Amino acid sequence: MALVLGIETSCDETAVGIVDDRKLLANVISSSVDQHVRFGGVVPEVASRAHLEAMQQVIKQALIDASISIKDIDAIAVTAGPGLIGALLVGVSSASGLALALDKPLYGVNHLSAHIAVDQLDNTNQLQPAIALLVSGGHSSILQINNLATDVVVKGATIDDAAGEAFDKIARLMGLGFPGGPLIDKQALAGNKTEINFPRGLTAPADLEKHKYDFSFSGLKTAVARYLAQTPNYKKADVAASFQEAVVDVLITKSLAACKESGIDKLIIAGGVAANHRLRELAKQRCESAKVELRIPPANLCTDNGAMVAALGSLAINEGVAASEIGISADSAAPVTQVVWK
Amino acid sequence: MSTVLAIDTSTSQTCVALVENGKVLFNKSHLDPLAHGEVLPKLVAQALKLTSKIDLVAVGMGPGPFTGLRVGITFAQSYALGAGINWAGVCSLDAMAANIREEDFIVSTDARRKERYWARYKNGVQFTAPAVSKASELEKLGVQIFQEGDYFPDPVAIANLGLSSSSVTEPIYIRKPDAYPLPDGVKFRAMTALDLVSAVGIEKVVYGKAAWSSAQFKEEFAKAPKNANYLAAELDGELVAYAGIFFAADVADIHTITVTDKHRRKGIGRELLKRMIDWARVKKADAIMLEMRLGNDQARPLYEQYGFVEISKRENYYGPGLTAVVMRKELK
Repeated sequence: MALVLGIETSCDETAVGIVDDRKLLANVISSSVDQHVRFGGVVPEVASRAHLEAMQQVIKQALIDASISIKDIDAIAVTAGPGLIGALLVGVSSASGLALALDKPLYGVNHLSAHIAVDQLDNTNQLQPAIALLVSGGHSSILQINNLATDVVVKGATIDDAAGEAFDKIARLMGLGFPGGPLIDKQALAGNKTEINFPRGLTAPADLEKHKYDFSFSGLKTAVARYLAQTPNYKKADVAASFQEAVVDVLITKSLAACKESGIDKLIIAGGVAANHRLRELAKQRCESAKVELRIPPANLCTDNGAMVAALGSLAINEGVAASEIGISADSAAPVTQVVWK
Repeated sequence: MSTVLAIDTSTSQTCVALVENGKVLFNKSHLDPLAHGEVLPKLVAQALKLTSKIDLVAVGMGPGPFTGLRVGITFAQSYALGAGINWAGVCSLDAMAANIREEDFIVSTDARRKERYWARYKNGVQFTAPAVSKASELEKLGVQIFQEGDYFPDPVAIANLGLSSSSVTEPIYIRKPDAYPLPDGVKFRAMTALDLVSAVGIEKVVYGKAAWSSAQFKEEFAKAPKNANYLAAELDGELVAYAGIFFAADVADIHTITVTDKHRRKGIGRELLKRMIDWARVKKADAIMLEMRLGNDQARPLYEQYGFVEISKRENYYGPGLTAVVMRKELK
């Protein structure tokens, strides 16, 4: 049992979570997303400045929400990568300052693994082994989780855009705004998902040989762009629903294929895109017919947050993983297999 | 009785000092402009072995390159929060000037992009506030300059300044982020013949003799939408910027990005550039090229930031003596 404070600053959310072993005590998020809306994407320097401005307040609020004093904390966990380097550095430096002041261990952890670890909060079920579909603004991959703290194998990943990125770009093309995921999700609710048959990337037999569990969304994006250009009075809802269906269909088809091939009957879907309604709905249907147990964290814990970082820190402690050394390097391109920094 | 932990990460050097009642227990620095994040915790861990109790964290608030600067500030603030003590921010240039005994001098640090952060001191007191300027302009002032490299912010001075006056509570960035939130109400739309009266007027002001005529614009518009894309930015019904790109075969060519003088440095040109790049991507161009007038330094960092690289120069391109710099960005 340990009280772990987790810090997340890899993109535009300054977030701090506190967990007591598997129990969620606090989850405070300050987002600079409003400052990025006009750019249609996150601006690193704007995000980094916002992190510095928000950091102390967010830590203090998390302590208040958890009704604990900073001195009660047993360990600090922080996202050390992947992410925007300037943004990561604010979190890592804050965490280092706290750990040294408190003389408590520091765990630099992987942002992507943390998205999966959040499943463990307030949940006593065994997570592993599982196939994980990790879908966010920056990443889309299928992982085999033998042990989340120590043994993660990449089965496949996107070869171009991440799923969330595709949502952002299509939303921009349709003039919906940023971030695109929730906006397309909302539009799609009123649309016909079979209206337009957009391509499913890397599902042709030849592609499947080389890219069995990989994704590609750039062709889909071009197809949507072409459709929009050629269809003067297109219906936004139908385009959104049809585009979303093309993304979600491929994500789930390939994830379940990975379950089947590896003989693992548990699928966990994590990352910001896991908040998408259609993804959740279709995953539920298909997992039921495939007799695969489906795990999706609550929607509010799917987007970037500090609780997931604390959850992974807590998991690492329980698995007996050594704490990180003083002076860890934030790594903007850390692979998902690097779960806890040495 | 007080023990001060002093930190500065505003230059290419990370430095840490521990000062107990004026006595320096620890004073170490490490030169590496890219390693503040790793070095700072290690130096502080070493310093902490020498004392059991810190009473104040003093930190240099800049000016300095943003990423490194934030490492020191956020570390200091979080350390103070964890230890339940106060932190005090000081101007890093003051800590660099503290040990210089001259009547009138400038201290300056590297602001990258051929620019310097600097402040002027007279009789040991800050005479002009921290600013950022081109190195060449700074030299024109004719005042003795003490530069980063020979001098650095002294962490012991930071400790002393932090104890006496802790007036700096915000990072001293001076520069704005390269990206600005666009001004409220800016609209982007296709550029049409209806914009030509305004556009030709802007051309004359911005480009003088090299200005495009109405006929040249019309010729360009005729290639749209298949081979060209011209966008206008308007604010309160007024044309404030426009950009155009042409594509045939493999390479797209940005023909113009023009922002009226009054509306520069607001992110409008950046947004137009991004939309030009997006369009070239949709067209599956292998690369994008653009020409820029030599000396057009305002726009160059923006192009470089988006991956454009200088590939050649064309003399007399915009008229006698006016050289064009040709830049290219690969998309494949």
